[in-house]
Amino acid sequence: MSDASVFRTRPILVVEDSDEDFDTVVVAARRGQVRNRLVQARSADEARGFLAAHAVNPFAFVLLDCSLPGEDGLSLLHDLRGGATNALLPVVVFTASVNPRDRDAFYAAGANAYHVKKVGFEDCLTSLQQIFRYWLSDATLPDPAALVALQRRAP
Amino acid sequence: MNPISLPFPYSVKRHGVDIANCDDEPVRTPGCIQGHGLMLAVNPADLVVAQASENWPDWTGQPLEAVLGQPLAKVLGEVEAGRVAEMVAHEVLESNPLYALTLRLPTSAQPGVSLDLSIHLADGVLIVELEPTGRGDSPAVTDSDYYSMVKKTLVRLKAAASLAEFCDVAAHEVRRVTRLDRVMIYRFHADDTGEVLADAHRDDLHSWLGLRYPASDIPKPARDIFKRIGVRPLPDVEGTLCEMVPLVNPATGRPLDMTHCALRGASVMYTEYLRNMDVAATLTMPILRAGELWGLIACHHYTPIVLAYPVRAAAEFLGQIASLEIAAAEGREHLQYRLKLDAVHHAVLALASADGHLGALTDPGDGLIAGIAAGGIAVSEQGRWSTAGLTPEPARLDALASWLSLRLESSGGQPQVVALDAIAAACPAMADLAPVAAGVLAIPISQRQHGDWVIWFRPEQVQTFKWGGNPYEKPSVVGPHGARLTPRKSFEIWQEEMRGRSAPWLPVESDSALKLRLLLLDMVIGRAEQLAVLNTDLVRSNDELDAFAYVAGHDLKEPLRGIHKYAHYLLKEAEAGRALDEQGRERVDALLRLTVRMDSLLDALLHFSRVGRLSLEREEVPLHDVLGEAIDSLGARLEESGVTVHVPRSMPPARCDRIRTREIFANLIANAAKYNDKAERRVEVGYIDPADASAAARASGAARTRVFYVRDNGIGIEERHRERVFMMFKRLHARDAFGGGSGAGLAIVKKLVDQHQGRIWFESVAGVGTTFYFTLEAADLPFQALGRE
Repeated sequence: MSDASVFRTRPILVVEDSDEDFDTVVVAARRGQVRNRLVQARSADEARGFLAAHAVNPFAFVLLDCSLPGEDGLSLLHDLRGGATNALLPVVVFTASVNPRDRDAFYAAGANAYHVKKVGFEDCLTSLQQIFRYWLSDATLPDPAALVALQRRAP
Repeated sequence: MNPISLPFPYSVKRHGVDIANCDDEPVRTPGCIQGHGLMLAVNPADLVVAQASENWPDWTGQPLEAVLGQPLAKVLGEVEAGRVAEMVAHEVLESNPLYALTLRLPTSAQPGVSLDLSIHLADGVLIVELEPTGRGDSPAVTDSDYYSMVKKTLVRLKAAASLAEFCDVAAHEVRRVTRLDRVMIYRFHADDTGEVLADAHRDDLHSWLGLRYPASDIPKPARDIFKRIGVRPLPDVEGTLCEMVPLVNPATGRPLDMTHCALRGASVMYTEYLRNMDVAATLTMPILRAGELWGLIACHHYTPIVLAYPVRAAAEFLGQIASLEIAAAEGREHLQYRLKLDAVHHAVLALASADGHLGALTDPGDGLIAGIAAGGIAVSEQGRWSTAGLTPEPARLDALASWLSLRLESSGGQPQVVALDAIAAACPAMADLAPVAAGVLAIPISQRQHGDWVIWFRPEQVQTFKWGGNPYEKPSVVGPHGARLTPRKSFEIWQEEMRGRSAPWLPVESDSALKLRLLLLDMVIGRAEQLAVLNTDLVRSNDELDAFAYVAGHDLKEPLRGIHKYAHYLLKEAEAGRALDEQGRERVDALLRLTVRMDSLLDALLHFSRVGRLSLEREEVPLHDVLGEAIDSLGARLEESGVTVHVPRSMPPARCDRIRTREIFANLIANAAKYNDKAERRVEVGYIDPADASAAARASGAARTRVFYVRDNGIGIEERHRERVFMMFKRLHARDAFGGGSGAGLAIVKKLVDQHQGRIWFESVAGVGTTFYFTLEAADLPFQALGRE
């Protein structure tokens, strides 16, 4: 079991192409006194680059918007879950879509949670603060090396 | 029923009185001939006699040993045997008795009797029949006048306006030719009972016109044999039966098949029956309609009579003419009615077709009720009933339809029309429906197992049958050979009231119902195809609705959130009493920018939805002009970005929607100009004619249609984005890259091309450029082959 304080030092990957929405995430983090660094990826490709670069110092979790330019968030999630290094990385979907089909598709692809962005600014901040508190304080996160270890143990 | 074990070899003379059931009697192999003639069974290969009738010695003085195993020439004479050999070599004799010659037997015990000799083949055996030449004095039949006899009869039959008249003519013509005491036209009903439709008789005899006879009077084996033969003579009811010797043919090991023998020995039951009617001789010809036994021409004579061969042949020929003409006669019978039914059915179907449902069929005025005479009509559509007139209630209709479907299924789907005039007889559970639905005429109008039906109903109509003798009569005294051989003796007219029956359905009515069925199925199938098209449209518009929901969910809400956020900040500042500072000014700018962005998204969305709704107006369009207009409309934007549009050759005219095609070009050119990072931005617009396409493309059939293209030297599209290029509001690049964009342009282009039933695709090399190809007409073959070469 890892020490919870470790997670406070890991960065958070925010996959979000809208600068306005990213700014909202920044405001929410500040209000929630989140010390983790926020890394913005504006597309799936950018996100892949960051994930590869952070293999040594992994992210605490990913905040993922589902509507992205080019490839969408869902195919990024598929890639993550299918790969070796980040298969256990928590992915929290934060999106405008209320379509049940989108929601179920993300859960089916292995999303850890699905949150709908609210139009009201304060409501939006509240959701985000809850997400930060839950994933950084309430829940304990997996050891990124766990999967590799599990796979090694398998015959 | 258990298989019957008959004595073997069978002889009607020995065993005929022991058969318990008429339906088991082996009427085709009775083993005996009628004693007024002679018969030989000959091996056709060497013409050696294998069997002879037992009366041969009585007539010829030759003992059977002098006949059996002897060549035919020795038995009949050289010349006679030579004639037979010639016919065997040249004529079609299989099941076809042909007259060969008339002879006097060489050693006749009855000198002076001349015999007609006819031969045919049956079961590989040559059968030689000899019959006394008989009465040759019919004035209607002489060799020279044969043609005019047939012609007169045919003209009279064709002139008959009704079925009754046709039968009357047929009966009188046969009587004119044969001069027999009574000639009847006997019609079999669906239940095998018979009815006399015409009776030409000697003046002093009573008419039997309109009389009915129970099915058992002409048992099934007799009905079956009438489907195979042309004429059946029985010149002397009291005549003796003579066995063939031996009974079994030595070559085949089987009894002789006498189906086609004029001399075939009659059933004891039949001769007894005739005797009870005081009939001394009969001649019977079948009337066949479409291969089925429609009825008989039944001739009775009250004294024994041997008809001359030509007379009998003429009678047989008349029977065949009647068979050929009966269908036409029935058609003429109800011509007016048939025409009326056709007219009503066509009018009803035209209405139903226009309505898109079958409601018109049960219209109380102009529906099917105006056609086939019926008390009520019920039509089910998807299992739901609509009715006109008097019909059973829906629950009973369901039960009836289930029963009909089951019946149809168990009979292998045939026939496709059910005509019952006594429902209780066919389905006792429905007996109580008789007051409304004693008669049922039904056609299935769907292929499903428990499908839909159109059903006509006729109420019960109490009918009076005149039977020729009481069909239920039990013999009061059983005769010497048991009950079967004691046929009813009384043929006095016996009247019976028939209940639970409707007026019978006429052939014209069931024919018409059958025709209606085909027309209905055509219509239903046509509608299914229409539905399939509508369904495809529906699926497409559902997909578009989904796309709209996606767009509204993601893209329209995004600026809205920003607007809300900045307004929120501004409100907080105002509440704190602070003046608008630099940051505040930036927030107001952002607010304005977001409203403009939202506006452009909404415009694009509305445009996209409009594109789907307007109908296409295809006309001959000068594409070169249209392309010019498209480039002009983009003018400023192209100049700003330093784009040159190159058109290598003048665009050809095309059949398309002018406004939409202009938009296709404008969007593709704008797209090409926008996604370009080169110093010199080039766009080329042109077309590929089928004639220009590569041999490979032509061979694959891919280039039958003219293909237009818009080519750029821009940034290219990565292969992994191929699927997403034409999706609504799908940008491939970050929002402000390449001047931003709503992501609607290519989605709209695709929709416009779709509406032309054309195809759009592209080929691209990242960093080098992209070419979009499209067509403006339908083509059944894929174009990718060309595009990716």
